[in-house]
Amino acid sequence: MTLYTERQSGSRLRDFFESHAHVLSIAVFLIACCALFTSINDVFLSPGNLLNLLRQAAPTLIVAVAMTFVITTGGIDLSVGSIIALVNASAALLLRAGWDWPVVSVLMLMLGAVIGLFQGYFVAYQRIPAFIVTLAGLSAIRGIALVLTGGFSILIPPGLFLSIGRGTLFGIPSPALMGLAVALIGFIVLNFTVYGRHVCAVGANAEAARRVGIPARRVVASVYVWSGVAAALAALVVAARLGSGSSNAAVGTELDVIAAVVLGGTSLMGGRGTIVGTVMGALTISVISNGLILSKIDAFYTQIVTGAIILIAIWVNTRIFDQVGSVRRKS
Amino acid sequence: MRVRGIRKSFGSIEALRGVDLDLWPGECLGLVGDNAAGKSTFTKILAGTYLPDAGTIELDGKEIAYSGPAEARGYGVEMVYQDLSLCDTIDVAGNLYLGREISKGPFLDKAAMQRGAHEMLRKLEIRIPNTALKVAQLSGGQRQSIAIARSAAFDPNVLILDEPTSALAVAEVEAVLALINRLKAKGVAVVLITHRLQDLFRVCDRIAVMYEGTKVAERAIAETNLEDIVRLIVGEGHR
Ligand SMILES: Nc1ncnc2c1ncn2[C@@H]1O[C@H](COP(=O)(O)OP(=O)(O)O)[C@@H](O)[C@H]1O
Ligand SMILES: [Mg+2]
Repeated sequence: MTLYTERQSGSRLRDFFESHAHVLSIAVFLIACCALFTSINDVFLSPGNLLNLLRQAAPTLIVAVAMTFVITTGGIDLSVGSIIALVNASAALLLRAGWDWPVVSVLMLMLGAVIGLFQGYFVAYQRIPAFIVTLAGLSAIRGIALVLTGGFSILIPPGLFLSIGRGTLFGIPSPALMGLAVALIGFIVLNFTVYGRHVCAVGANAEAARRVGIPARRVVASVYVWSGVAAALAALVVAARLGSGSSNAAVGTELDVIAAVVLGGTSLMGGRGTIVGTVMGALTISVISNGLILSKIDAFYTQIVTGAIILIAIWVNTRIFDQVGSVRRKS
Repeated sequence: MRVRGIRKSFGSIEALRGVDLDLWPGECLGLVGDNAAGKSTFTKILAGTYLPDAGTIELDGKEIAYSGPAEARGYGVEMVYQDLSLCDTIDVAGNLYLGREISKGPFLDKAAMQRGAHEMLRKLEIRIPNTALKVAQLSGGQRQSIAIARSAAFDPNVLILDEPTSALAVAEVEAVLALINRLKAKGVAVVLITHRLQDLFRVCDRIAVMYEGTKVAERAIAETNLEDIVRLIVGEGHR
């Protein structure tokens, strides 16, 4: 006699590991990096260095959280480094002209939003690939910053503004606190709100999202607004930390940010994003650059090593992922 | 629902060349035709996914012009798309509630959606062990079942099924046919597109045949048979 039995459902723990494979592997990688750099130079683990590391990671982290949303919709924003430069320079100019810092801060966040809206409009409503729109932005926006500053660095007069970048609260640098706050908000929005669900849906299958009545184009445009605002916030942090504004700020930041997001396990194909992964990805990028400096590796080699490590990490990550979960490709 | 003179072109291809159709509550219309006859295009126009180049759609005697699928959904027109239109990276419950998430303020009420999803699937006799699984992890038939459940669960007035049974096993096809009969009894107008002609004779009241972007014939089920329909599909009977 044949017995009909139900297939056993797998263990909960196994399911957990499989669905979080990406995040777990970046966590392991981050810890391994920390262990390696500690063994090379034990200054790495000193509280002073760790706090400094957090302070430096903050701008990347802030932008990377917003970039996670952008990439989850299947897009990309290459212009964030240039937005940082423009906002950074504009803020310094206004502060030097004697404007109040709260007014300047709010205006700068709005500037970021407007730039994001402009780019989001072309991506979402004019159907121009995000890569093209934001590549144009990358060039043009830094150009505006150059025109405004004439290429010179602009000193910010001492004042309360600088504490955005230099202050501490309970011994923790304020940029790090801001970064964590942004990450927490991003985590909640992406995972627990209707809007976050719509961001995933648009990235997984934009046509399906449109068919069920999700305002797909508005959702797509909105994520570029968030990345613009986040870049502006990061620019304020950078300006306050350095005490000056410059059109040369944040060159190449877009690459760090995108690397952080992808390292963290957010899919470039869209539809799947993780803020926890992004936080660890951003920390990993900072740990690598900080650790290489402490290891006294020639600065010229740092970029090569960073690039190689990112490629290897993402390669390992996709390998593990391919074996563990066979997620169907988007058709 | 009354549809008149629908035309639609994609570039140089005239996908629909003036199609008329009437749908009555509590009735199932079978829509058949060769591949590329325009069945999917026509039903997507009914569901608001495509906007017609010409033609009118009336609902309960009032002419309506959709601006998009959300509006059609608002009128109670639901559709199961041939490509299923699911989001692979979102779980089963999330897909069932896509576009009408249960929320507390801006927050998703995930527990309520999981419960609701269980209830929906149970009512439709669909066995999916875990509604928290991602849709990408399911079989083709399970995915199709979810698309059907999503369209049927929210009390539609008009339900369009575009080849809903192509990946289903015997028992599941039976369940879909039973579902169609239950919805008919509730007064829903059903449009069923399928290549399984024997199914049409079990649930449909009328069969419309499309050929190269036009409706070439319409038959009440009582006055036709399988051979007749086959002849109409391949384009012999009306020349
Ligand atoms: N999005 C589209 N773009 C261009 N042509 C299309 C599109 N959708 C359908 N068509 C064309 O319209 C015709 C009808 O297609 P379709 O409605 O899918 O047929 P069916 O569902 O009856 O097999 C085909 O010739 C097809 O090539
Ligand atoms: Mg079709």
